[in-house]
Amino acid sequence: MNPTTLLTLHWRDPLTGESRTQTAVYPLTIGRSPDNTIQLNSSFVSSHHLRIEDSDGQAWLQDLGSRNGTRLNGKLVGKTAVLLTTPSHIEIGPYSLHLTQPPGDGRTATLTNLLDPATLAAIRQSYQQPAPALAFSSASDALEATGSSEPAALPPIFQQRVVPLAALNQPYESKTYLSVGGGLGSFAWINHLVVYGAAPDDILTIGFEPKPYGRYQRLCRNSQIPDHERLRSNSDSCPDNLWGWPGYGVREMWGAVKNGRFSHAATIGWQLFNEPYVQTYTPVAGHVFAAIDREAERIGWRQLWRHGRVRAIRQTDDGRYLVAYTHLRDGQPDQHRLVVCRYLHLAVGYPGVRFLPDLQAYRAQSGDFRRVVNAYEAHDHVYDALAQRGGTVLIRGRGIVASRIIQRLHELRTQHGSPIAILHLMRQPLAEGQQFDHAQREVSNHWEFQPFNWPKAAWGGDLRRQLEQASDAERKELLACWGGTTTADRRDWRTMVDDGLREGWYEIRFGAVQGVEAAENGRLSLTLQRDTTLTHQTSLEADFIIDATGLEAGLESNGLLRDLVNQYDLPRNARGGLKVSNAFEVEALRHGEGRVYASGIVTLGGPFAAVDSFLGLQFAALRSVDQLTAVRATGLRRLDGLRSLNQWTRWAIGAKP
Amino acid sequence: MTPTLFGRWQSRFFLLGTVGSLTTLLFAVLFRSLIPFILLAVVLLLGLGWDVVYDRLQKRRWDRDWPPTLQLAAGVAEGVLLAGLLYGARLLPPPTPTQFVLHYTAVWLTTFLASQSLMRLIFPRWRYHGGQWI
Ligand SMILES: Cc1cc2nc3c(=O)[nH]c(=O)nc-3n(C[C@H](O)[C@H](O)[C@H](O)COP(=O)(O)OP(=O)(O)OC[C@H]3O[C@@H](n4cnc5c(N)ncnc54)[C@H](O)[C@@H]3O)c2cc1C
Repeated sequence: MNPTTLLTLHWRDPLTGESRTQTAVYPLTIGRSPDNTIQLNSSFVSSHHLRIEDSDGQAWLQDLGSRNGTRLNGKLVGKTAVLLTTPSHIEIGPYSLHLTQPPGDGRTATLTNLLDPATLAAIRQSYQQPAPALAFSSASDALEATGSSEPAALPPIFQQRVVPLAALNQPYESKTYLSVGGGLGSFAWINHLVVYGAAPDDILTIGFEPKPYGRYQRLCRNSQIPDHERLRSNSDSCPDNLWGWPGYGVREMWGAVKNGRFSHAATIGWQLFNEPYVQTYTPVAGHVFAAIDREAERIGWRQLWRHGRVRAIRQTDDGRYLVAYTHLRDGQPDQHRLVVCRYLHLAVGYPGVRFLPDLQAYRAQSGDFRRVVNAYEAHDHVYDALAQRGGTVLIRGRGIVASRIIQRLHELRTQHGSPIAILHLMRQPLAEGQQFDHAQREVSNHWEFQPFNWPKAAWGGDLRRQLEQASDAERKELLACWGGTTTADRRDWRTMVDDGLREGWYEIRFGAVQGVEAAENGRLSLTLQRDTTLTHQTSLEADFIIDATGLEAGLESNGLLRDLVNQYDLPRNARGGLKVSNAFEVEALRHGEGRVYASGIVTLGGPFAAVDSFLGLQFAALRSVDQLTAVRATGLRRLDGLRSLNQWTRWAIGAKP
Repeated sequence: MTPTLFGRWQSRFFLLGTVGSLTTLLFAVLFRSLIPFILLAVVLLLGLGWDVVYDRLQKRRWDRDWPPTLQLAAGVAEGVLLAGLLYGARLLPPPTPTQFVLHYTAVWLTTFLASQSLMRLIFPRWRYHGGQWI
């Protein structure tokens, strides 16, 4: 093969900020649909957006009639192929890709390292044949047989449900435990494994981020929770300590006493003793990260973490699981690798970010990604512009993130004196809080309050038990009642909203949006639906729109999960989440001695409400590792009584588990 | 905390039987009397009833939690009823009021602190199970 038909593409995921590097052989295609060589997950990318081909030893780029166009080094390209030189810059919707030649002179050598002949053959083949369609609805068997997140690069043997290991023509590594994701869910699971007695050498985790809180920290920063701000989290939800004691509150108190800040220590003590009657204690983000760093060091996280992206998972003929992943290595070409494990854990976090359809439509039409933003994507430019020139911001959503953004805007107003006005658009007024049995949630100024995102007893009280014992359909109803959009009852936030309403810089409007467009005066104009009786207004104007309506749980946005669900017909719960047992096992994947567990938002709708929380991730870990202990998985011994106390003491003095 | 009724009962038995008994032993030796142990048993028995009341009240709270402030209030209420029975109804030969207050406070405080810390360390599942350790 011509060694020059290799390209390295670098880009940053606009929503998660993940930095990606992929070396690919061309001809290649880029698009939204999974059968492209490079899949970009955004509604602004067409399903088959562009193609890069080689002709006469040169690379040519062609737009495949995409809806929103392609820019090469700033110029719009048409349907006729244009010459592609490296380095180059391609812009597609919110993505900006940087193209280079792979490093090193020994390109042929890199190529053979990179892909085995079977994979290369499969890549070649996938361009000659019509692209296999993916079954989202799992309606037909034929579609499912070819369904996979990246069919172009997966060895053909992955088309089988059960892979005979002897037939693999590629070496593979063996591990007992493997956690996919390498985020906080993986951290909690592995932390339990190690404390229960598993040897770190038997454990592997694969993810994008060296720090277990990497993605979490970025989402926090984007949604305006920098490291020095407080989270919306309980004092004893400690990912670094499975006992939950001492909690972050007690630790902060102790730290204050050591530094002679006695009044600070007393304030926290008072808060912890009297919450929720005085403002509920929540830890500082940076303290939580530092504590996780310390625990990561103790359990040897660095040695068991590997930088990579998991592409597909299959059962093996010896009752284990075969995991194909791309090993990402700094400055070196990606490598496709295989690992086989007995116990697998899926903790891939949020599969995607929800975006209001009208805002999505506006972004698609206008290509304006600066004035209409999602609260979870990086959008500091909005605050910079507002600090300088002032303006009107329209906020959608009334959860914790909306509160935090209003706080940030309020700070800009007071610190810079910027003339900033906030329009808070809500679908409908909220006079009464949610009711359950004899209790009712508090409401003020159309905001609904709750210290955390679920009632506290959903973590460890009678509500937890009630949900665990409920049927699938009942779970859905209970979750709808206990959840919903709420914010924390912080005194400063309530004062800020009261002041804003009185002084007129914060206004609440009601209505459903019909469409958004750029007005002639250069601002953004929102048209509201006429049939709404809630407002006499039909349009609103703003300089920026921030969508703070939340993150989405749709499994399909994650290629790995989609492939797994399709390949093995995995059942869903009533809320559409991955169906797991009370021990968080994906029972449909059980096979021989092998077991698969899941945790995080993808299991919402199952036995536990707060699956997407520190404590929920720890609960899922506890339940699954308890089950593994019961089936005598390698190294594990029951954690209870004196053994538990002993392990805690080791934690306290910083000794290895 | 978010105890369930069973969790309350189990924790009460465990905490009074361990930490509470040790504290009581100290006072029994100090006062040279077995009365502190009898009081401890009465607190345990009455508590089974009190816990039902607390559980009802707790279900009226949206979060269904039982914060430390309410634990303290409950401790005071139980103490007042106990004092009433001791000094009003004279069910037992009562200790001096100072002795009673010292002993009762010490037991409440040690069991409260143990429930906040030690329980979690020896029973890692306790906090998820609403205070049940079995
Ligand atoms: C802004 C914000 C604030 C929050 N605040 C709190 C709080 O204060 N308290 C609380 O208890 N909870 C909080 N949460 C909820 C929750 O605790 C966090 O979201 C937590 O990070 C979830 O952990 P996770 O393991 O499920 O996902 P993550 O920590 O996001 O980890 C998943 C990882 O999997 C990786 N991944 C995905 N697909 C693949 C693949 N195919 N191969 C390899 N890796 C892959 C991702 O890159 C990611 O790094 C908050 C959430 C958000 C968004």
